[in-house]
Amino acid sequence: MGVTFNFGQFFLSGRTVIGDTLHEIGLKNDKLWVLTPDTGAALKAFKRDCGDRFVDVGIAEQNVVGIAAGLALEGNIPVIMGMIPFMTMRACEQVRTDVCYQNLPVRIIGTGGGLTSEGGSTHNAMEDIALMSSLVNMTVISIGDPNMIRDILWASMKYPGPMFIRLAQGKKDRVIYEEGTMKYEIGKGIIAKEGKDVIIFAHGEMVFQALEAAFRLEAEGISVGVIDMFTIKPLDKELVLRAVEETGRIVVLEDHLMYGGLATAISDLLIDRAVYPKAFRRLGIPQVYAGFGTGEELRAKYGYDTEATVRAVREVLEK
Amino acid sequence: MDKQQEIARLEALAYDLRKKLLYLCGTYGGPVHIGGDLSAADLLIALYHYGMNVDPNNIMNPARDRFILSKGHGAVCMYIAMALRGFFDYDEICATYGKLDSAFGMHPCKVHLPGVETSSGSLGHGLSIAVGMALSAKQKGQKHRVFCLMGDGETCEGSIWEAAMAASSYKLGNLVGIVDRNGQLMTSYTEDFIHLEPYADKWKAFGWNEIELDGHNMAEIVAALDSLPAPDSEQPTVLIAHTIKGKGVSFMERDIGWHAGALSEEDLERALKDLEATYGKSGVENNGRNL
Repeated sequence: MGVTFNFGQFFLSGRTVIGDTLHEIGLKNDKLWVLTPDTGAALKAFKRDCGDRFVDVGIAEQNVVGIAAGLALEGNIPVIMGMIPFMTMRACEQVRTDVCYQNLPVRIIGTGGGLTSEGGSTHNAMEDIALMSSLVNMTVISIGDPNMIRDILWASMKYPGPMFIRLAQGKKDRVIYEEGTMKYEIGKGIIAKEGKDVIIFAHGEMVFQALEAAFRLEAEGISVGVIDMFTIKPLDKELVLRAVEETGRIVVLEDHLMYGGLATAISDLLIDRAVYPKAFRRLGIPQVYAGFGTGEELRAKYGYDTEATVRAVREVLEK
Repeated sequence: MDKQQEIARLEALAYDLRKKLLYLCGTYGGPVHIGGDLSAADLLIALYHYGMNVDPNNIMNPARDRFILSKGHGAVCMYIAMALRGFFDYDEICATYGKLDSAFGMHPCKVHLPGVETSSGSLGHGLSIAVGMALSAKQKGQKHRVFCLMGDGETCEGSIWEAAMAASSYKLGNLVGIVDRNGQLMTSYTEDFIHLEPYADKWKAFGWNEIELDGHNMAEIVAALDSLPAPDSEQPTVLIAHTIKGKGVSFMERDIGWHAGALSEEDLERALKDLEATYGKSGVENNGRNL
């Protein structure tokens, strides 16, 4: 099990996996409804075969969340597919008050996590984890490996309460894990790579980058572990505490504001438990509206690309 | 029971509801949204005691009609209308309203109060939830209706019109919107700043079957509920009920100061006398049209 020997060579569209999986589930489970505010290009099969449980509301995120709440109150399991900034900000209050307040099993799948949208700051999603994590009852998931989506969506049919699932672009996602060898459990982090000197915590697309940095450092004799913290809330506390205990040197890498995301969740846990690592570095988006460019270019510009990750590991090793 | 008797029964219930609302407003010790409670009182009585298929002894009956109070600040009016139907105990509402751990708060909470279909209170949310419920019923072939009571002020929210568009697009003949058109927001009258008129035309333009009525005339409310198209028809209906905020209490009617408030002992006495003068004798009052 674990990281595929073809690491980083295979790509898959996360959106296609979502469309295929929702179609598979929809054929077997008539409680599943799929809703979208005009971002349903990947949902054609579901629409074709489960059309009476498919709702496109046009560009109206507040409405789609309210409708999902109404469907859930009637015993259905609604999955909304939309763009992250609009689902989590335009419709934030509906998510909180209609869905989370009533603890309804609404699933929101968002694409365009971090600075991957290529649409500029209107379309980037750098606050979503902070916003969604702050909502009582909400489970927050960030997926890197596109194959993981299938298992998570199937698991979500039996998981209680609301859920937010974050993807990067979802168009050309790198396959990280050897297919069929992994068991994903919501709330449990994945040790993507063992390491003795430093541990990098990452989620979503940044898991690939963390592994890239780790393999590069490995060649220099530095042993770097990578933990795929795909569930950000509830946090896998045991795994975090164990990693800090074993190495004492932590880097948190995420395509999100440096404060308010996974790094904050981890540092809150450590302070609460009075566990103090020897070194703790967070890599992510500083307090800027990032402007235009590809995700890769922007990560380089703002200091959290692979190079910056390698540098950060070296720095925490010196402490 | 013939229609006249039925209307008289509902009018008596609405009078009772108003008295109970005022009593609570005079004893609770904090502000009650009495203005909008009194404008919605006749509508809520007509719904819970006539128009909706609901059963206090079987609150989860799948065939029940669903009711969403989108104007969630009218909660106490709904609680008492439901109590008069046997859902809750009025004395318990009075004894616990707004207090720690009470199920009866300023805005309805489904988590704490089974029998309420959804939590509400943030304005502009209810109609989307109602659309979701109506879609589910239609897809499952269920025959019940979904009713959603909105304040006219909350229809300033854009989300109401997102939901209105979806409801007609998805042909939700099982959805009934009701607007408590009392002409007031919290701090102004509806046409002072933001113009809702031409109001009926807006709903029609969004594809709704539209019925205007006097929301304080029980015969008109009953007639409107009787005239609803079948749940398996293909157009949502909105009842625009012209009402008066603070209806029944002379010093509250259309008074901006009475969006919410508490009644002193003296004011309570005065208010109850007002009610009696209006509803105690003829039992029918017919000048509520607010056009």
